[in-house]
Amino acid sequence: MIVEGEFTFQGPREMVWNLLQDPEVLAKALPGAKTLTKTAEDRFDGAMQVGVGPVTAGAFSVTVVLKDQVAPERFSMQVDGKGGIGFTRGTASVELRAAEGGDTLMKYRADLQIGGKIAGVGQRVLDSASRAMTKQGLEAVNRELQSRLTGAAPAPARSRTRYWAAAALALVALTIALCGGPWR
Amino acid sequence: MIGRSPPRNEDAALLTGRALFVDDVHLEGMLHVAFLRSDHAHARLIAVDASSARGRPGVVAVYTAVDLGDYWQPGPLLVPPPPIPGLTFHAATQVPLVKDKARHAGEPIAMVVAENRYLAEDALEHIVVDLEPLDAVVDLEAALAPGAPVIHQQLGSNLAAHVVQHKGDYRQARAQADRVIARRFRYDRGAAAAIENRGLVTHWDARAGELTVWDTTQAPIPLRNGLARMLGLLESQVRVIAPFVGGGFGPKIMMFYPEEVLLPWAAMRLRRPLKWIEDRQENFYATSQEREQIHDAELAVTKDGRILGVRDIFLHDTGAYDTYGLTIPINSQCTLLGPYQVANYDSEFKVVFTNKPIVTPVRGAGRQHGVFVMERLLDIAARELKLDPVEIRRRNYLSPDAFPHDHVILFQDSAPLVYDSGNYRPALERATAAVGYDGFQAERARARAEGRRVGVGIVSYVEGTGIGPYEGARVTVEPSGEVRVATGVGTQGQGHFTTLAQVVADVLAVDAARVHVVTGDTREFHWGTGTFASRSAVVAGSACHAAALAVRDKILKLAGLLLEALPAELELAGGAVQVKSDRGRSMSFGELAVRANPLRGAVRPGTEPGLEATAYFGPDRGSTASGVHAIVVEVDPETAMVKILRYVVVHDCGRVINPVVVQGQIQGGVAQGIGNAFYEQLVWDTNGQLKNASFMDYLVPTATDVPKVETHHIETPSPLNPLGVKGVGEAGCIPTAAAFAQAVEDALSEYGLEICDIPLSPNRLFELIRAAEAAGAAGAAARQTGGAAGAAKR
Repeated sequence: MIVEGEFTFQGPREMVWNLLQDPEVLAKALPGAKTLTKTAEDRFDGAMQVGVGPVTAGAFSVTVVLKDQVAPERFSMQVDGKGGIGFTRGTASVELRAAEGGDTLMKYRADLQIGGKIAGVGQRVLDSASRAMTKQGLEAVNRELQSRLTGAAPAPARSRTRYWAAAALALVALTIALCGGPWR
Repeated sequence: MIGRSPPRNEDAALLTGRALFVDDVHLEGMLHVAFLRSDHAHARLIAVDASSARGRPGVVAVYTAVDLGDYWQPGPLLVPPPPIPGLTFHAATQVPLVKDKARHAGEPIAMVVAENRYLAEDALEHIVVDLEPLDAVVDLEAALAPGAPVIHQQLGSNLAAHVVQHKGDYRQARAQADRVIARRFRYDRGAAAAIENRGLVTHWDARAGELTVWDTTQAPIPLRNGLARMLGLLESQVRVIAPFVGGGFGPKIMMFYPEEVLLPWAAMRLRRPLKWIEDRQENFYATSQEREQIHDAELAVTKDGRILGVRDIFLHDTGAYDTYGLTIPINSQCTLLGPYQVANYDSEFKVVFTNKPIVTPVRGAGRQHGVFVMERLLDIAARELKLDPVEIRRRNYLSPDAFPHDHVILFQDSAPLVYDSGNYRPALERATAAVGYDGFQAERARARAEGRRVGVGIVSYVEGTGIGPYEGARVTVEPSGEVRVATGVGTQGQGHFTTLAQVVADVLAVDAARVHVVTGDTREFHWGTGTFASRSAVVAGSACHAAALAVRDKILKLAGLLLEALPAELELAGGAVQVKSDRGRSMSFGELAVRANPLRGAVRPGTEPGLEATAYFGPDRGSTASGVHAIVVEVDPETAMVKILRYVVVHDCGRVINPVVVQGQIQGGVAQGIGNAFYEQLVWDTNGQLKNASFMDYLVPTATDVPKVETHHIETPSPLNPLGVKGVGEAGCIPTAAAFAQAVEDALSEYGLEICDIPLSPNRLFELIRAAEAAGAAGAAARQTGGAAGAAKR
């Protein structure tokens, strides 16, 4: 399954990059994520609660291995997730580009295998709902960006590493692939 | 009684909910089973850790392949290939649990036994499986390409079989042809989608030393024999009961499914009864399917439409294992010849392993592929030669004096493909008359004037039925005067309790309601093979007939003694024997049965107690049924939806035992055929993941999609059995796709589209219409440009 698209943030690239380092912001974009632990320099293990359309939510363990990072422009990753309701595996890449009028264009592309119950029973909602959920998540990040541009929100926590952002974006890719409906 | 349609003996139990199905079996202390299945279509199994699952409350046992020890064995090859010269066949049969590699999504890896199904399923999530995914083999042509991932390493490639059969000299026929029609045809995979999924209850009675297995199988006796062998028991220690079953359609003849191997074994180990009922989602992965094939076929014809020869080269998908041998592709190969005179035939197929669930016969069992290819080639030939599609068939039918007709090649039962009897033109004429074919041009024009597009399709087919090896039956007249019949075939809704009763009732001159049939219980009867290949009426019916005749002889012999008359002076009527010339001198069957089992005195040498006899019937080869399907459709080119306006079947299954049962078989078969033609398709991604494993996305036709089929019977008796009957179980679904395609093309004749792929979903038809429109527009534009260029030249 190929999931690709782009999204325009109304704000500068550096700020978008920083924003994507804020776990509180990312939690809004990633409503399935429970934990995320750095287990090696370029590897993260996480736990999610995933449900797709008619497939009841189940525990889903995720491993993300980062590759080809060029901060703050792009990175790619190998993702591997599995649980009682199926699996997903493949690669994803994210690119941030400065756009006209001080905007930032995000391009994402994930090439994922989906298997098990989520593929067999959740198929009918994977495509359309993943688009809707991605949009929803990225819009949440964009809203946070707007409020920070107008100075209404606290500054992002500086202590977070950039891996947070990279791994979180991997989860965005997973979300794109898996979220077939409301997270339950 | 034969030829009539009395109320069905089984209906009272079925309609009032008293009939026993496997899931109705509840036993004291019964545990429930769930299976952990591979999410991957092709993956190496590195490790399974079930320790956490084993420790969960309510979990009694968890078994993996390693836990099975020596009991882990690949299943037997069910149908060895026929002795065709030069044949290549590589057996790779299914295993109880994945040991080294998962070869299709849904293949079981572990079995959980728990106090209830909920606890068993919850425990599945606590089994940790380490699978290393491998590239999957999904596409048939890619599977045979050099460098393709190999599913069974020991074979070195994904080729399961290669078979060539010839008749005559096709090359010479082709050289003499006025025209050669060549096309590629595809048929895709579907599920049998029985209402009742598979299920098992197993119970080991340690005191009696008896294992009882309730199973939705179509073949209780071979299952019993196989289980006894695997478990080291006497055959008599295993009792398999196939109670009422909610539809078989072929997949339930397949054995030994992993669940069938594992539940009896575990019940003996745990000394507790076990139950497993397949859920609908499991059914999409764990029950066998059919029917992907790709045919490259050509037809050599004369300019007046006479067939000189056919060549067909095809690929057949067997899925991850080939337990059922070559039955399906050989059916395709043989059935292609249809009711036609084909002097020269080259047929070659390759069977291919893929990372998809196992393929075994599903109603039709490959016959529909052959019919589709042949009928489509004839339709295209008729169009190109400007012949009427009905006329081209008429010109090529075998004549009534051509029987028995030897097609030279071998059939799936290893016997030569010889048609026993047939008379094809009357069915065609009856169908054309019934559907109003001669006046249909006017009908089409009238509809077109109203803005509607209607079309008609008429196709022919034969159906090889009633193959051996044999079935048996025991007929007993009880002291109550009631008659009991026990036979080994399983029953899945075909009406055996009535049709077999009618056969016996006819011989004994009793009401069919007084004949009580029991099927599918190995304690009642333990010789036989099962219900498949449209054979129950032919083979079990003939065995019932023979046993009833033997009982009739016993009745006449004993009554002759008691009534002091010669058997020839006696007649049977209304459950009694009477002297023809003096009907007052009579004895009821019940009285005779009591006298046949004396409490004092002696049973004389050369006689047996009771009014009971057992007999067997084994035909040398199958009998060939035939028929014509005619369909009228209306197609909306905007939405590509097809509405079936009429469906006429003229069927010849020899002598008809029960017209309503035959009609029911045809109605149900047509419903399945319509699903197969237009709605049902299992869709796989390139990794072998099924994308529509539910009835939300896998569309079976509903009552509103299936018309009432108008059925006509023609009777050309079979000379191969005493009843003159032929099978009818698969007739309804065999030619449906071919009829459907012809009618849709006819309705959309102005588009000039060709339907070569089945199922023809609304989506695919929509694409064909749009492509035809684009080609038509391009053609019109080209003509216009050409005309302009021509004008400019002048």
